[in-house]
Amino acid sequence: MAPTIQYYCPCLSGYPIQTPPPPHMPSSSASFHPLHSLFFCEECDAVRCNRCVSVEVSGYYCPNCLFEVPSASVRAEKNRCARNCFSCPICRTTLSVVASDPPNEDDLPGPASISTVGEPPFFLYCNHCRWDSAEVGITFEKPTGLAAQLQKFEDSAAESLEFERLKEHFEPFLRTSSLSSSSHMPSLASHSLHTSSVTAAASAALARDIPGVSKYNPHTRSRAGRDRTVNKDEMPEYKSRVEMGLFNQLGSGGDEGDVDFMTHIETASEVAKLEQRWGNSWVSSLKTSDLRPLRIPLHSKVSKRCPTCRHILIKPEQKAQSVRYKIKLVAANYLPAITVALPHTHDVSRRIQSKTPASTEDKQTIIMAGKSYPFHLALTNPLYDPIQVRLSVQRMHVTAATDGTAPDKARRTPFAVSLPTSPFPVAAFAEAWEYDDDEDMFGLEDDELGLEPVGKTSRDRDGRGKIKTVGVLERRANVTIVGGEVVIGKEARGHVKFNMLVSYTYRSDDPLPSEDGAGTPSRVIAKAPEVKTFTFYTVVDLGPITPREESKVEPEI
Amino acid sequence: MDAPVYYSKAEFIETDTGNKVSRRATIAGPQNIILGGKTIISSGAIIRGDLRRTGPGHAVVISLGRYCLIGEGCVMRPPYKTYRGNFNYYPMKIGDHVHIGANSVIEAATIGNHVIIGKNCVIGKFTIIKDCAQIADNTVVPPNTVIPALAMFSGSPGCFIEDLPESTQEMVEAQTKQYYTRFQPLDR
Repeated sequence: MAPTIQYYCPCLSGYPIQTPPPPHMPSSSASFHPLHSLFFCEECDAVRCNRCVSVEVSGYYCPNCLFEVPSASVRAEKNRCARNCFSCPICRTTLSVVASDPPNEDDLPGPASISTVGEPPFFLYCNHCRWDSAEVGITFEKPTGLAAQLQKFEDSAAESLEFERLKEHFEPFLRTSSLSSSSHMPSLASHSLHTSSVTAAASAALARDIPGVSKYNPHTRSRAGRDRTVNKDEMPEYKSRVEMGLFNQLGSGGDEGDVDFMTHIETASEVAKLEQRWGNSWVSSLKTSDLRPLRIPLHSKVSKRCPTCRHILIKPEQKAQSVRYKIKLVAANYLPAITVALPHTHDVSRRIQSKTPASTEDKQTIIMAGKSYPFHLALTNPLYDPIQVRLSVQRMHVTAATDGTAPDKARRTPFAVSLPTSPFPVAAFAEAWEYDDDEDMFGLEDDELGLEPVGKTSRDRDGRGKIKTVGVLERRANVTIVGGEVVIGKEARGHVKFNMLVSYTYRSDDPLPSEDGAGTPSRVIAKAPEVKTFTFYTVVDLGPITPREESKVEPEI
Repeated sequence: MDAPVYYSKAEFIETDTGNKVSRRATIAGPQNIILGGKTIISSGAIIRGDLRRTGPGHAVVISLGRYCLIGEGCVMRPPYKTYRGNFNYYPMKIGDHVHIGANSVIEAATIGNHVIIGKNCVIGKFTIIKDCAQIADNTVVPPNTVIPALAMFSGSPGCFIEDLPESTQEMVEAQTKQYYTRFQPLDR
């Protein structure tokens, strides 16, 4: 497994301190995300993740015909495509419409496809599992407007009719009560009043029809009941046109017919899988042969907002298949991108490759207990200004780190990480073509660092650990590679995983830095008014430690 | 940052526009194939430019955009069907920054920009793949499927799994450009 790095979103911490959970806790993974999935709110000056942003639907479309459905008709069409898109009830593939005359003189496998001058009846055919709708008795006179043709089957279902009748029954009542409340009782209380009487009436109807459903008793029942006598909220009793027994006959399950069917099955595929049944709105039969094609559920485009300041972070273009955004504030444009590499694995794999063809195990990252390893962090600056970066390892509380997860003997921190302590620069981002000539850009501010200037050439020597491994190793374009070192304890096990605090200072473009500096504690205004610091946490996972017992290699410390 | 991917200089032909085509790839009907530039065609790939539409005149069978990668052992074959009693092949159009993993078979009609297709996939005839979609390894996409933009498809049959992040386009663009720069000749 290649070493990974993930970024911290403080939305789950809840405190203003915003320190991430210890990396070894299983729950910590919920707080860390890959950089490309994070957003950045400029107003709050904070990282946001998919877990904490508020999402709004900005448009609906069918994922098959890509038709953009106006939101007004989405509800009427029951959130599914009302054109020609159906999915196979067996395997969920999109069905195609085929004509019913497989020309006998033609020896081609499979029916001639899509809306040619084929002859009616037309039917739906699955290109993957070869299911076709003629098997279940669904055929069409013409190959267009299939959803409308199927609509009558859908609407004539007893459950659907009953639902429509219930809606009809309550509709005039809702209309009058909303009228009356707007005329003489424009308060919140009236709203709760009429909804409570609606639910009371509905629960009365339910309680009568379905044995075992007890009457819904709201807290305000006595009051609502009293009001109902004086108010014009009085409504006629709902009378169901379908008896409960009928639903059982329709195959709602559990009756003798099902038992009989189940005792006589010959192949498992005769029984519809849960996966094939649970998308249905109404109770459906157990038999695979009773499954019907499904209209394809619509997908939506969403815009995303910052949970605290409500500013828009993501706003897609209206067109459904456009991948552009009117507003797109992603963290990758604000925070330096960091990649982690373990140079010793490259060396190992290369050496093996040159001798013999490397097996896959040899390419795995091997971290032995009781050894020390250098690792590289490459930081890429997305900003148009140079930044100064300072890295530090979050001190783990040993009890927290090992509590419950590690055995007692590993109570000591299993490894120690050293990182460059002084801040180092990462040059500004510029358009890529400027760096096409591969010219190295280092040597600008190396003296300020208090580190010896290290160029590209010295990097190879570093890999052997003779020269320093901790510090700035390489600088080119807007990338700076720094080296760190991890010393693994002799009894260590688990993953080499640690939280790293990254803070960077940059020159701000804002004319009034004091104004928005008051937002979160993560921003600190430095002495120079136009310099700002942003701090974020990451978790670095260098990979699993190979325990010492298994490795028969002598430690070299 | 990442280690270069070396190839033997003798194996690949580099064109003026930076396309790198393996001599071990089978390119049938090259006059009907357009490469956008900086596109890599790996060894063992089979591209069937000869399966052209019947009829007179010049026909483009397969067009690939910039920064594409056709993995090792891939088969690119234009889709065909019988329409009004006539059997015919139809052109295949592939956008920019499209990576196709090793040993996949592609019979799609259209593949948009910034699409990543995994290894060992089968993309059925007349499949339409929109921009920034991704297809996981070992996916079988049935014929005539439409894969919407920013969708992740996986499984057999290939099904929608999840929406991809908003920054997919930038990520794929960086990845494909980086792969092209990493793909370096090794003299010997």
